[in-house]
Amino acid sequence: MVSVLTQVAGRYLLGLRRRTHVAAVSAISFGAMALGAMALVLTLSLLEGFQSTIRRQLAESGIHAELRPRVGRTLPAGDWLASLRARHPELEVRAVSGGAVWCLGTDGAVPAELEAVDTLSRVEVNRVLAARLAIGAGSELVIASPRLVLTPLGPMPLRRKVTVDAVGPVQPGDDRAVVRVPTSLGAALLQLGGARSVALRAHKPADAWRVASDVQNEIPDGVEVVSFAELNRPLLAALTLERVMIGFGVALVMVVAALNLLCNLALLAAEKRADVALLTALGLSPARVRRLFLLLGLGVGALGGLLGTLAGGVVAEILDRTRALPLPRGVFIVSHVPFRVTAGAVVAVLAVSLAAALLASLAPARAAAKRDPLEGLRYE
Amino acid sequence: MPQSPPQRMAVFAMSEVVRASGLRKGYGSGERRVEVLRGIDLAVTEGEMVAVVGPSGVGKSTLLHLIGLLDRPDAGELLLFDDDASRLSVEERAHWRNRRIGFVFQFHALLPEFSLEENVAMPLLIAGRPRRAALEEARALVQMVGLEQRRDHYPDELSGGEQQRGAVARALVARPELLLADEPTGNLDATNAEGLFDLLQELHGSRSLTSVIVTHNEALASRCGRILRLTGAAVEETCSRI
Repeated sequence: MVSVLTQVAGRYLLGLRRRTHVAAVSAISFGAMALGAMALVLTLSLLEGFQSTIRRQLAESGIHAELRPRVGRTLPAGDWLASLRARHPELEVRAVSGGAVWCLGTDGAVPAELEAVDTLSRVEVNRVLAARLAIGAGSELVIASPRLVLTPLGPMPLRRKVTVDAVGPVQPGDDRAVVRVPTSLGAALLQLGGARSVALRAHKPADAWRVASDVQNEIPDGVEVVSFAELNRPLLAALTLERVMIGFGVALVMVVAALNLLCNLALLAAEKRADVALLTALGLSPARVRRLFLLLGLGVGALGGLLGTLAGGVVAEILDRTRALPLPRGVFIVSHVPFRVTAGAVVAVLAVSLAAALLASLAPARAAAKRDPLEGLRYE
Repeated sequence: MPQSPPQRMAVFAMSEVVRASGLRKGYGSGERRVEVLRGIDLAVTEGEMVAVVGPSGVGKSTLLHLIGLLDRPDAGELLLFDDDASRLSVEERAHWRNRRIGFVFQFHALLPEFSLEENVAMPLLIAGRPRRAALEEARALVQMVGLEQRRDHYPDELSGGEQQRGAVARALVARPELLLADEPTGNLDATNAEGLFDLLQELHGSRSLTSVIVTHNEALASRCGRILRLTGAAVEETCSRI
């Protein structure tokens, strides 16, 4: 059953063909709330679009968990690593050791990190090293070790010439130059002891976040698991902070819209004081008058927020699918401005709309309820 | 905090719908204070049709607002339906205005966003009656006041007389015991005023009402059973036909 308050509020908000001023006031508040909600949805979608792209690239290019010896210890020997590989065929398990080297190309030499990987049978460089030495797959590369060997010309760094088999990706924000080689080559260049860590990587990048928890109970004492989130904590924390701060800033638009709603509800209460007085005389209690104006405010907030959220979501989807906002290649990691509408963002925007409308309605509702109905009845 | 129900004042006869004793009401404060009602005593018994007359500013509307529970007296005692009105909570006063008292005002006869039928149904909707049932009851009242053909019209499509007839229908739709009318013919021409008064008299009789009508129109007032002339400090009974 539709209550009389809903009927009156609905008539004020929607059936306004007879009172153009009230209609205009309500429409302005409605439009402001809708625009605020739309701006918030677009902003959150944009942030989520960029951030999900970054998170996806992190998962596609980096390791998903790392097993490290606890402080003061080394990775234990034994067959636990083989067992881990056997139990988790969905994971790529790589024991890694290494150290600092120099890499020499035809255009010069750059310091790099050498990673000796037990499962690797070829030589890989990452994109940073490839770019700095202007090399690619098939190029020749000289790796110079800090170990010295005696030559007729005196002590010289130990060097190995290798052919680059592949260029690997880099994680967003990672500017280290890295060369990855088989363990045998690494041992020849550096005095490697046992593995310093074990890198875990799921074949499906989407599983990156759960790799650590999957292996947590299967590792020996003295070894700790560093999860994907912990490995990338600085970047992920920065992304979260960015989203919160920008979201908060744009949410101020909703505050402005709410202030507009407050002013318009106050105007509406003043304009309708005779009607409210009449309703009071007919038996509407002050508490129900207060509820009527809260309903009006919430109606504008809910409908405006809903419309703005829908409009923002649709616009974001269109912009993303049509790739309407291209980005220069080579400068950004994506080819177009990405938008991603999430259920969380939609719920958050609707909640902010309702909360803003409720807060904006409190004062006018209280004032309308407190107003002496005789003022309205005397007023013509 | 819930308040106790109003106490029954058995000392007065059950037939008295309104009894005021030493009723005082003023507005403003300090030197600007104006005492409008200065110790009014009056009684209206069940089934009476009483006209309240007097010069402008003497407090006729104020008296009606006090009786209609739209305002509270500064001093004095007001008994409605044998209950002490001062003991009623805000919610109870609203409930009584909705169920036991019908109002007709000079201005603001109808709500502009609602059709005539919806306006007439408004007290029932406020009482929580389902819309369909409320509109059905309102339709009967609209028919009774002779506006059946205009029931879907909005107030700005009705004449002043039609609006006031609608207001009378609205005042009676919840079957109140007491009808209060504050200069209901004040905005009407003589013909419409006469017609509206005819309607009030007819409904007063047919629906067993007790009516208190404030008016400047002595001719119309003389058609009531009793005329109370208000002077601010006293109520003089100038005519009693019954």
